[in-house]
Amino acid sequence: MMQQLLDLLLGDTITRFVFFPSIAALPLLFLSRASARAVKLYALAVSIVEFALIALFAVSHWGGGTMVARDATVTWLEFGSLRVLYEVGVDGISLPLVLLTALLLPLVLLGSFKGITKHWTGFAASMLLLTTGMLGALVALDLLVFYVFWEVMLIPMYLIIGIWGGDRRVYAAVKFFLFTMAGSLLMLLGILWMAWSYGELTGVWSFRYEDLLQLQFPLGQQLWLFAAFALAFAIKVPMFPFHTWLPDAHVEAPTGGSVILAGVLLKLGTYGFLRFAIPFFPQAATQLAPWVIGLALVGIVYGALVAWAQVDMKKLVAYSSIAHLGFVMLGLFAFNEIAWQGALLQMVNHGLSTGALFLLVGMLYDRRHTKKFDEFGGLAKSIPWFALMLVFATLASVGLPALNGFVGEFMILIGAWQGGLRWATVIATSGVVLAAVYLLKMLQETIWGPITNDENRTLKDLSLREVVTLLPLCILMLWIGVAPGRFLEPSRPALAAVLATYRAQMAAGSPGSVSLAAPADPGAVPAATFVAGSSPAGSAGTR
Amino acid sequence: MNSIFALPQVDWLSLLPEIVLTGVASLILLLEAFAPRLRSVFNGIALAGVAAAAALLAQQPAGLYFHGLIESTALTGAFSQSILLATAIGLLSAQGYLKRERLLFGEYPALLLWCTTGMLLLVRGVELVTIFVALELLSVALYGLAAFHRREAVSSEAAIKYFLMGALVSSFVLYGAALVYGETGSTSLAGIGDALAAGTGSAALVFLGFLLLVCGFGFKLGLVPFHAWAPDVYQGAPSPFVAYLSVAPKAAAAVVLARLVILVTSAPTAGDWTKLVSVLAVASMLLGNLFALAQRDIKRMLAYSGIAHMGYLLIPLASPGASSWRPILVYLFSYTLMNGGAFVLVSMLYAKPGEQHAIANLSGWAYRFPVAAACMAVCMLSLGGIPPTAGFVAKYLIFAHAIQHGNLALALVGIFASLVGVVFYLRVIYMLYMRDEIASPGGLKLDWTGQLAAILAAAGTLTLGLFPGPFLSWVESALTSL
Repeated sequence: MMQQLLDLLLGDTITRFVFFPSIAALPLLFLSRASARAVKLYALAVSIVEFALIALFAVSHWGGGTMVARDATVTWLEFGSLRVLYEVGVDGISLPLVLLTALLLPLVLLGSFKGITKHWTGFAASMLLLTTGMLGALVALDLLVFYVFWEVMLIPMYLIIGIWGGDRRVYAAVKFFLFTMAGSLLMLLGILWMAWSYGELTGVWSFRYEDLLQLQFPLGQQLWLFAAFALAFAIKVPMFPFHTWLPDAHVEAPTGGSVILAGVLLKLGTYGFLRFAIPFFPQAATQLAPWVIGLALVGIVYGALVAWAQVDMKKLVAYSSIAHLGFVMLGLFAFNEIAWQGALLQMVNHGLSTGALFLLVGMLYDRRHTKKFDEFGGLAKSIPWFALMLVFATLASVGLPALNGFVGEFMILIGAWQGGLRWATVIATSGVVLAAVYLLKMLQETIWGPITNDENRTLKDLSLREVVTLLPLCILMLWIGVAPGRFLEPSRPALAAVLATYRAQMAAGSPGSVSLAAPADPGAVPAATFVAGSSPAGSAGTR
Repeated sequence: MNSIFALPQVDWLSLLPEIVLTGVASLILLLEAFAPRLRSVFNGIALAGVAAAAALLAQQPAGLYFHGLIESTALTGAFSQSILLATAIGLLSAQGYLKRERLLFGEYPALLLWCTTGMLLLVRGVELVTIFVALELLSVALYGLAAFHRREAVSSEAAIKYFLMGALVSSFVLYGAALVYGETGSTSLAGIGDALAAGTGSAALVFLGFLLLVCGFGFKLGLVPFHAWAPDVYQGAPSPFVAYLSVAPKAAAAVVLARLVILVTSAPTAGDWTKLVSVLAVASMLLGNLFALAQRDIKRMLAYSGIAHMGYLLIPLASPGASSWRPILVYLFSYTLMNGGAFVLVSMLYAKPGEQHAIANLSGWAYRFPVAAACMAVCMLSLGGIPPTAGFVAKYLIFAHAIQHGNLALALVGIFASLVGVVFYLRVIYMLYMRDEIASPGGLKLDWTGQLAAILAAAGTLTLGLFPGPFLSWVESALTSL
């Protein structure tokens, strides 16, 4: 097993880019006396190498419709009838999010050079460990492995908020940890239940994604299991009314933490719905869809109204996240192709635009140590480049056509309308209007108008480091807005396959007792969208 | 079995590990009397004895010895190894502490080894009188060790409390054994099993007998409602000894408890043991974690958390059977590493045994003692059951067992209790990493043996969490030999 893992780590594999950051973090343990400057440069170098690894991987798997890969399977633990496989793979659903994670890591480190003033070794190590957790959760094809990575994300984020955060950092960190843990423990029970059900039918427990996908539960059990999974993911998204940890965590976290939190961690909630909760329990998801959509709409409108009432830039951006992710949830529960594509694109979009907004707020905070509207005003006159970037990111977030936010939201709304959710579409559209209201209000009060506070006259404009941090995000926002097709292309076959299975299962109806789906036409099941990469035919060889 | 040519004599070889431990302990006492200048290596000698016992244990052939009084199986071997691991942790962490407190005498390693001898016998005993004698051997040694810090009143207080309660409970065990013998006519577990299967004796009296036995070993485990001694004893006794006390006797008592429960439930007329065990497990998990939440002293907190952990350990016994051993064994190993490691660190991070071991005193230690703090954090995360640590793998196996046997409610309670547990384990990490240092620790130095023990325990915890495969295969091989 160790030999197999070593082979995976050294080969051109998914495993390599998942574990590279945390292995590269090990030398930091012995560098606690090193200068902060050396640690910063080391961490940045590691993150750039990581980005290069993932970018090369993505490029080599992008062409055609089948840009997917998986690693050879390794038995992680075997115990009686229990078996857990270490199995990872990337498909069109996870690839965009993997790329987003890889992109944000160097930007976050670069953007934190000034904001993080103490214990840089620990900060860098936490960020790198966090990256392994996020990437692992995105590529895991075994549910217990997914759960392990999911939990691994918690600890570094807890430390990032709790050590480098604002005044109420400990409260926020503990709240973040407990909320997430509460949801995920129930999910663990759900996972165990599914694996046991599989064992009852076949004699061997299995946590493999593709094995569990064949399980068909009666509706009653589906509802419980869906609830167990959905709670974990809804807390992460976060959906109203499980959102209360988010404003605390976002406001107290250091800039880098907020960017990663908004950019990737929240996406794991929506990713979880798309990857696990909906395909596993299609009937339950459909039956509960009105409730989920209702909560998503509440999130959209409530998030927007609360954001409107904020006088703190970071809080405003935090609440806008709740509204934006409400759109994603609406798209996911419209159950059609265009809505799902829009939802997936919107996950990436939100990571880019909200990430940029958090970075910008952080840059302002580095200069003035405040984020309150009334301290600012007229910033466009004193720091025009900053103002330009802020306007750009805000407009992307508002959903201005020709920028990325528009494409995603528009596709979701069209999809929802086509899916027969007309009233929901109307209400959600009002959320778009509200987004314009609160975001433009922020612009108006901070960068337009006369300079009211003399301290703002002498501010320094963006440094080269800060421009370099923001530029990749801005370029992508424009690029996705102008030419979204290129970005939608890789996810299309994977989403279509999941949707086809979903429709087939809905047509078949839920069984009277737990059963296994007949081995379906290999062209239709999602398993077929995974093309064997480095291993011959995946699981069959190792079982 | 090789007994065909064996003369009807005592199978001394089967007791080799115990003989080695007793011999080394006696040797240390003699050295203490005649060569007191060697005191600084006594713990080292004892450690060598433990290593020798572990090696001998691994070689031991399976079988019944002493006319069926003790047995040797791969399973007892595996549990014994976990006890020896705890002994090694107790010895390593004691060296620096005893030197610091000017208590470096031969009695500590000697008592520890005798105590371990009692535990190994307890694990192997398959006859009630043998079990009782082994229990007394380990208990008497434990009382002495609890009082080892003789200049500290709290240490004596802890020992007296432990002794009074322990003596009472010993009588429970004896009375229970007498009742079971009276009704079944046998003291050997196999004989009792046959009698129960045949339906001999009054079911009510057998139930009462087993109930008293279970109470006795529940006391050693610290299950609610037999837990009241644990926080006081943990708080008062010398910390390196608590590193041992909090894990090794649990392994020994858990084996006997599991044996008894599996035995009595195999009988057709068994009472409702599932319900009884479930009540004990639920009460221990919930009360242990809830009380731990309120503690401000880290030793008391770990005492209550230990009570909760024994509750988790009981979950597989709610559906007793051969399959219960797997999760119990894995859990005990993980618990030995993570809880032992935590107490090793406590004994290093707090200078004086008499002072309150306030959790708040850990403030900011991460930046003064980065390695010790990281080890502590790993142990805490593992105790909280957060991956990728041994604690998670162990809890996962416990919950998987519960679901497999339809104990969903127990698993749910366990999960709720874990969530409560996370709160106070995180508080330790918060103190270590997120607070500024408050007091100067007055020239405290970390000793290298203690640090070694802590690093090994933390590294073991992480390794079992990241790569459980090899360890679990070893456990599996121990179980398939049953």
